[in-house]
Amino acid sequence: MAVCIAVIAKENYPLYIRSVPTQNKLKFHYTVHTSLDVVEEKVSTVGKSLGDQRELYLGLLYPTEDYKVYGYVTNSKVKFVIVVDSSNTSLRDNEIRSMFRKLHNSFTDVMCNPFHNPGDPIQSKAFDGIVSGMMVQTG
Amino acid sequence: MSVPDYMQSAEDHQTVLVVVQPVGIVPEDQFFKIYKRIATVSQVSIRDSQRLLYIRYRHHYLPENNEWGDFQTHRKVVGLIAITTCGSAKEWSQTAERFHGQKEVYSSTLYDSRLLVFGLQGEIAEQQRTDVAFYPSFEDCSDVEKRVEDFVESIFIVLESKRLDRATDKSGDKIPLLCVPFEKKDFVGLDTDSRHYKKRCQGRMRKHVGDLCLQAGMLQDALVHYHMSVELLRGVNDFLWLGAALEGLCSASVIFHYPGGTAGKAPGRKLSMSQAADAGKRHRPGAQEVLIDPGALTANGISADTSTEIGRAKNCLSPEDIIEKYKEAISYYGKYKNAGVIELEACVKAVRVLAIQKRAREASDFLQNAVYINLGQLSEEEKIQRYSILSELYELIGFHRKSAFFKRVAAMQCVAPTIPEPGWRACYKLLLETLPGYSLSLDPKDFSKGTHRGWAAVQMRLLHELVYASRRMGNPGLSVRHLSFLLQTMLDFLSDQEKKEVTQSLENYTSKCPGGMEVITLPDGLKLPPVPFTKLPIVRSVKLLNLPVSLRPHKVKELLGHNMSTASPFIYSPIIMHNRGEERCKKIDFQWVQGDVCEVQLMVYNPMPYELRVENMGLLTSGVEFESLPAALSLPAESGLYPVTLVGAPRTAGNITVNGYHTSVFGVTSDCLLEGLPAVKTTGCLVEVIPSLPRLQLSTSLPRSVHPPQPMSKEELSSTVSVQLFNGETQQLTITLENIGSEDIETLELTSKIVTSKQSVSLLLHKVQNFYVRLKKEFASIYSFIQFLPNGISVTGLPISSPLRQVLKPRPENKPVSSEPGKAEYSHIKTLEAVLNFKYSGGAGKVEGYYRELSLGVHVDVEPSVFFTRVSTLPATSTRQCYLLLDIFNPTEHELTVCAKNNQDLVLHASECQRMAIQVDKFDFESLPQPDQETARFTNPKQLQEERQHAQGCQINSKLGICWSIISFQRLQRKASVEGVLNQLVLEHLQLAPLQWDVMVNEKPCDCDVIADCKVGEAVTLEVKLTNLSKNSVGPLALTVVPYQDYQNGVQNYDLEDAVTFIGSNTFYINTVKPKDSAVCVGALLFLYTGDFYLNIKFQDDSAGRELPLAWFTLPSVHIKALDVPLQAGA
Repeated sequence: MAVCIAVIAKENYPLYIRSVPTQNKLKFHYTVHTSLDVVEEKVSTVGKSLGDQRELYLGLLYPTEDYKVYGYVTNSKVKFVIVVDSSNTSLRDNEIRSMFRKLHNSFTDVMCNPFHNPGDPIQSKAFDGIVSGMMVQTG
Repeated sequence: MSVPDYMQSAEDHQTVLVVVQPVGIVPEDQFFKIYKRIATVSQVSIRDSQRLLYIRYRHHYLPENNEWGDFQTHRKVVGLIAITTCGSAKEWSQTAERFHGQKEVYSSTLYDSRLLVFGLQGEIAEQQRTDVAFYPSFEDCSDVEKRVEDFVESIFIVLESKRLDRATDKSGDKIPLLCVPFEKKDFVGLDTDSRHYKKRCQGRMRKHVGDLCLQAGMLQDALVHYHMSVELLRGVNDFLWLGAALEGLCSASVIFHYPGGTAGKAPGRKLSMSQAADAGKRHRPGAQEVLIDPGALTANGISADTSTEIGRAKNCLSPEDIIEKYKEAISYYGKYKNAGVIELEACVKAVRVLAIQKRAREASDFLQNAVYINLGQLSEEEKIQRYSILSELYELIGFHRKSAFFKRVAAMQCVAPTIPEPGWRACYKLLLETLPGYSLSLDPKDFSKGTHRGWAAVQMRLLHELVYASRRMGNPGLSVRHLSFLLQTMLDFLSDQEKKEVTQSLENYTSKCPGGMEVITLPDGLKLPPVPFTKLPIVRSVKLLNLPVSLRPHKVKELLGHNMSTASPFIYSPIIMHNRGEERCKKIDFQWVQGDVCEVQLMVYNPMPYELRVENMGLLTSGVEFESLPAALSLPAESGLYPVTLVGAPRTAGNITVNGYHTSVFGVTSDCLLEGLPAVKTTGCLVEVIPSLPRLQLSTSLPRSVHPPQPMSKEELSSTVSVQLFNGETQQLTITLENIGSEDIETLELTSKIVTSKQSVSLLLHKVQNFYVRLKKEFASIYSFIQFLPNGISVTGLPISSPLRQVLKPRPENKPVSSEPGKAEYSHIKTLEAVLNFKYSGGAGKVEGYYRELSLGVHVDVEPSVFFTRVSTLPATSTRQCYLLLDIFNPTEHELTVCAKNNQDLVLHASECQRMAIQVDKFDFESLPQPDQETARFTNPKQLQEERQHAQGCQINSKLGICWSIISFQRLQRKASVEGVLNQLVLEHLQLAPLQWDVMVNEKPCDCDVIADCKVGEAVTLEVKLTNLSKNSVGPLALTVVPYQDYQNGVQNYDLEDAVTFIGSNTFYINTVKPKDSAVCVGALLFLYTGDFYLNIKFQDDSAGRELPLAWFTLPSVHIKALDVPLQAGA
């Protein structure tokens, strides 16, 4: 279902980015990179109004001609971005949410690995597996 | 209308559009000079009404756009200022014609026009015309601004009249239908009398009046008109104009809310609140039926009339509503394909408002919408403009990444393949502007902190594009710089294939334009710092190396102490200077020498998947003049740590700091400073360079051993000579010293040291000392020789002997001499090691108190040759002699011959033991030189004793002259030593007694085998002489002479009373003999028969000699042959 899944560090550099192999990788890099503007904007406005408790799921960041970009920010300001095909109209918001939740759980597992250095690119196979699962399912 | 004005903002709705154009031939620069002056008159305060009129100037405006003037009056060209040059009166008519022609273009909308004529003087210029102003030249036109103001005022009058004219139109009158160009054909044949149509006309007219009010500075009136228009148009579903009315409402509200403007461009828009309020108050008399007082905010902030508050709140949109209405308006515009430009411009305006409101997300929605507005076929230039403006707007709302994205798209558009002349320069410029958006700086220093974190894929793409653009721009230097940067900073992200490609293209570029370390400054002032290749190769550690052992300078001790005292007055201080992190500045505790080649070892690593050629790699230093000798190296692919030694020679003395290194890789020279490389390990980079010293080169006649078999001592040796010898063998070693330095040697000192087995030391040492003496003697002559020839050679010989000593203790007597187990014991190899030290100094270094030391290690492996397993003595016939019995063992595998002085050779087979008897004279050890008082006092007695024993041993050795030779080796004769096996007892036997006994028979000395002849019947004199050579006096002594006959069958006959008679007593008496004195006693014998007689001289009373060794009292036995007297003699 997803065509690109990215994990972005607090400092806004990619920790993990994976896209469907059939399409230009660089394009997704650009898409995810520019989506950070919206993420930052959303986070900064939300942070002001709600203080501590806030929704991690940011919803649709922006639609492009071909894709829809969804965002999710953890409390430690790590961002998840999922890009889905615009043509995929069957996808509900709840499904996107559950994808993010799954991603977040898996990411937490990666962080729990004592040998993982936070801030380093994610190379966990388990995480990779989860991501592949999300990308393949209906795609 | 196809060309959008992206610069538009909401407040442009209140401006009147004036076109300023050149007519005829006007120099461009002059035109723009005048244009700028005109443009400064952007707001004019109208004298009577105190209202402000805002003017927008354009030097280029499409008449096509002008046609939309009814739709939004700020699009209408109401004024024209033509600028022309006119040299003479003759040209005037032509110029005037042209001006009229120009006017024709905008004739439908123009309120007024002006012509500024430059260069015309004379009659025509004299005439007063309102629409023409004459100036003699472009410089001499001080009242241009004034003229423009007048012109604006005249426009205002027209505007105001139009406004009043339209505003007072009663609904009963026939109101014309205002149309946009594309609508015109739609309304053909429409029922003009229908209520619907009338409403439409009314609504549109209201909107138009609103526009005019807004332009005329009557904001509140404008709001009212817009509101009414919205109501009217909503009713008739006239969406395009409804949109326009809504937009007008928004614009008016924006102008009200944000008097500072939304475009952020106009510094001239300095409208303060009070001014605006004033303006509002003043125009109250002219206000319309639904009168709303806009002067709610007065200068002091107090408003008495509450109704105005309500009115204002009702008419003016709140900031949130503005956006809502904009959205609505845009959605209406969106219904019309031909209103794309209007829609786009509305989006841009809304975005500007949202940017002021800091509602970036909603602004991005507007922009997102703007991206999709299709304006039909756009020219490439328009596309670029559109993307640039999108980028700017994204920047405005803080979406830097989006902004960068669109800027990059714009850049790519500049060089789209469809463009016949690609604008590489523009492309490059735009690409540079995208850098911050991708958080990429072109300073490699920003990337030196740890691993790179960023959007590598995107950044790499951008850098590639920069490289390509700069190359196409025809600036290879720039592309080299960008490519170097790409290689240096993105190395970790490049695939092997990419690495190859990047380096190949880099090499291509550098072949035309080598990369250097200079800062490249771009025309727009951007500085591109140099990119040193600190990763090609990666340097892991930098280590300054000490000079080789033989060249290390040493400080003379006294001077060292002096030096330390100057360094700090404290021997110890608990206060440690804060020099943590200053590790690099730490001084290294060795010195380099001026003029001598120094080495720095770098551990380098090639991260490339192929061989890396590094050329011209050298050191960067500061402090002293340093001659770097660059090296070229080739590192294999993905090499591990690879040591590289960089060399150079300091040319002056002082402190030198190694700051870094320089390389040339792929044609790019880089200076890599260590301070920028935190990953590099170093033990310090500051080292002292001392003044130059001479250099001695040492060569030896014997081959040098590369590796000493074992560390000889703690100190390192410059070279080692290794020799293998048999015990007793002699080897000549010639040491050649050559001064290969540039300085004269002024002093040379030689010392030696024995490292192993103290026992075997002394001889070698002794020899070396001899050598030293000899060298010293020679040195004077060498010295003068060196004076003239710095490379003089001194040659000296040094005989090295393995000790002539038997190192093994004598074997116990009772052991079988040739027993097999003994063999192993003898066959082990003994190792001797010695070190010769040459200290030398000269030149400037000597003045500073430095010297150099050259040390030669001598390693001798001694193989056993002959062993004396047992030694004993047998008395010889003479008291002055004795037999030395040596059990000689041959531990070698060769056949040996052993010979002693005047003895025949003894052949020994391998592992054979034989006894050899040598007759030797006894030794007079007293005659050996005694150690002088001075040395005797300071050396311990034991050592003294050893010394003496050694001297004795030497004497015995030289007397014996025992030599051996291995027959199969054809070697010369070797000496063997018995010294070690001589025990005290044997020594005593060998020693010549200090009491010397001489026996004379018939005044002939009689000893041993000498047979004294005498005649029967004749008296034989017997004289015994005692010489005392000992230190004590001896005696008194009594001697008894006992004659006997030896039958040679073991029977000795002492009963000779009738055969021998003594004349006088047979007992001699010797009185006390003082040292160095002698005593003689004389007696006589008479032999009565012929025969062989022996005389045994015995001590009668040995009480006196008891304290002296018995050996001292051995007297020779006397053999006398008594012969018959011839008859005639007897007769």
